[in-house]
Amino acid sequence: MREKATTLYLGPQHPGITGNMMIKLKVEGDTVVKAETHVGYLHRGFEKLMERRNWLQSFTIVCRICVPEPDPNELNYSRAVEEIEGRTVPERAEWIRTMMMELSRLASYLLWFGGQNGSSGLYTMPQWSVGDRDYILDLFEELTGGRVYHMYIWPGGVRRDLPDGFADKVLQTMDYLEKRLKKYDDLMFANTIFQKRAQGIGWIDPKKAVEWGVVGPPLRAAGIKSDVRIDDPYLIYDKLDFEVPTQTGSDVWSRALIRRFEFEQSISMVRQCIEKMPKGEVYNKIPNPMKWTIPAGDAYVKAESARGEFGYYVVSDGSDKPRRVHVKGPAYVHGVTLLERILVGANIADVSFIMNSLGTCPPEIER
Amino acid sequence: MTDTILDKEQKLVQLLEQTFKKLSGKVVRQRRVTVSVEKELVPSVLSYAKSQLGYIHLSHMSCVDWPENNNFEIIYILWSPADKVQLFIKTLINRENPEIDNVDMIWKHANTYEREIREMYGIQFNGLVGAQEFILEDWDDMPPMRRDFDTVEYVDDNYTFRPGREDAGDVREEIVKRSGEDIPDFAKKYSRD
Repeated sequence: MREKATTLYLGPQHPGITGNMMIKLKVEGDTVVKAETHVGYLHRGFEKLMERRNWLQSFTIVCRICVPEPDPNELNYSRAVEEIEGRTVPERAEWIRTMMMELSRLASYLLWFGGQNGSSGLYTMPQWSVGDRDYILDLFEELTGGRVYHMYIWPGGVRRDLPDGFADKVLQTMDYLEKRLKKYDDLMFANTIFQKRAQGIGWIDPKKAVEWGVVGPPLRAAGIKSDVRIDDPYLIYDKLDFEVPTQTGSDVWSRALIRRFEFEQSISMVRQCIEKMPKGEVYNKIPNPMKWTIPAGDAYVKAESARGEFGYYVVSDGSDKPRRVHVKGPAYVHGVTLLERILVGANIADVSFIMNSLGTCPPEIER
Repeated sequence: MTDTILDKEQKLVQLLEQTFKKLSGKVVRQRRVTVSVEKELVPSVLSYAKSQLGYIHLSHMSCVDWPENNNFEIIYILWSPADKVQLFIKTLINRENPEIDNVDMIWKHANTYEREIREMYGIQFNGLVGAQEFILEDWDDMPPMRRDFDTVEYVDDNYTFRPGREDAGDVREEIVKRSGEDIPDFAKKYSRD
């Protein structure tokens, strides 16, 4: 006998993701037959706010778009402004920016390790990884004054140079995290329960993945070697030695492995940055911010964030304020059309598990 | 920058200009090509770029309001994983009666962008399926991302300001003044003076 379909409202609060988002599920028994994403809990109108603020005032807002990983926002905004204006950035600033991006990727993955396991009931992992993330936040605090929102990467370079002894602290933290990764392997990846929960769940068709707008770790887990750091190089990634790991499973398990391998790569990249960073200036001074105008033009810049390609489309009309700043976070596609597709046929218990594996972040859907 | 570096970008512009007569394109820089087309041609150019030229990934879709020229600009940003080029397809639509063809049959996720642009700018996408509300609920005012939507005026009309304290005095004294109740004994010892 066919079971009667019931409507189940999941959310807007979820374990493991930052922000609020509701999924309206139609379920038969405990199988999802239809999913619909509903957003609207967080809309703060960042893009409208920026149209009324000058170029430097807008810079202070952008990092607040994404809580787990604000740095790609700062970087993209700054790079877009620099590209339209034709402003150059000192080489040392490019190296510091790269180091910041990789540290922020590590912090974001640590938060993600917690979220992914929180949604499957393995609560030790969030305790460990969020605790370890704090050591990276300590570094951010020393460098920028802010733990979560840094406002550090700004048009023209970075706000200040590394403090004395900072490089050593970064290296010590990297050594510590590398040691901790072995513990994570034991607790999470060698854990039969996690393996059974994750393998074969949330499958994305690798043949359709690019067309569906999948980016970042979920795309690499589908066997497609795609990474903005290599495809459309920015900063000084072409001077670093790193690999882009891929998997072929295209399920939650493969996506978890991708993040685990990238964690190692990021640790190595941070070390390389510290080692090879040249000396010099870190900031090409901008004119008086109240009179600072940007020539008319537009630019689309993108960076590889922990969740995938993070894009900024910035338009200037030649005045002292942006005409349009349009943010495209990976979750804009992952959290809406992709999630609605791959949830069909899933078990209710796996819904938030799958949602986490895509790195869904509602604030960047609504902005 | 020498010509050889921009070779594939220039070939792309030539190819598009030969295929579509009413299209003009230019190379912005390495890996960035922009073309302008009329709005009727947009679905054809997009599906040609996707099926014939390998621009299979829709990176972004955006809208910019230009009230001084009385039009909206719609921008489709495509990416080719093989060529590694970002292709911008731009079109202008009239601001008086803004409508353009829907392209979510080419990319499913264009649907999300179109729903958002529809409610933020009031642009109709002909044939848009499942065009339910995206972010705004029960909104019957002017679409809020239009340049002539005055946020300050909207706030003044719809919300009341709660008066704040006039000085930097103790907040509890202000509460006492407004409510007429005394500060409880246990809280008095934390008083500022």
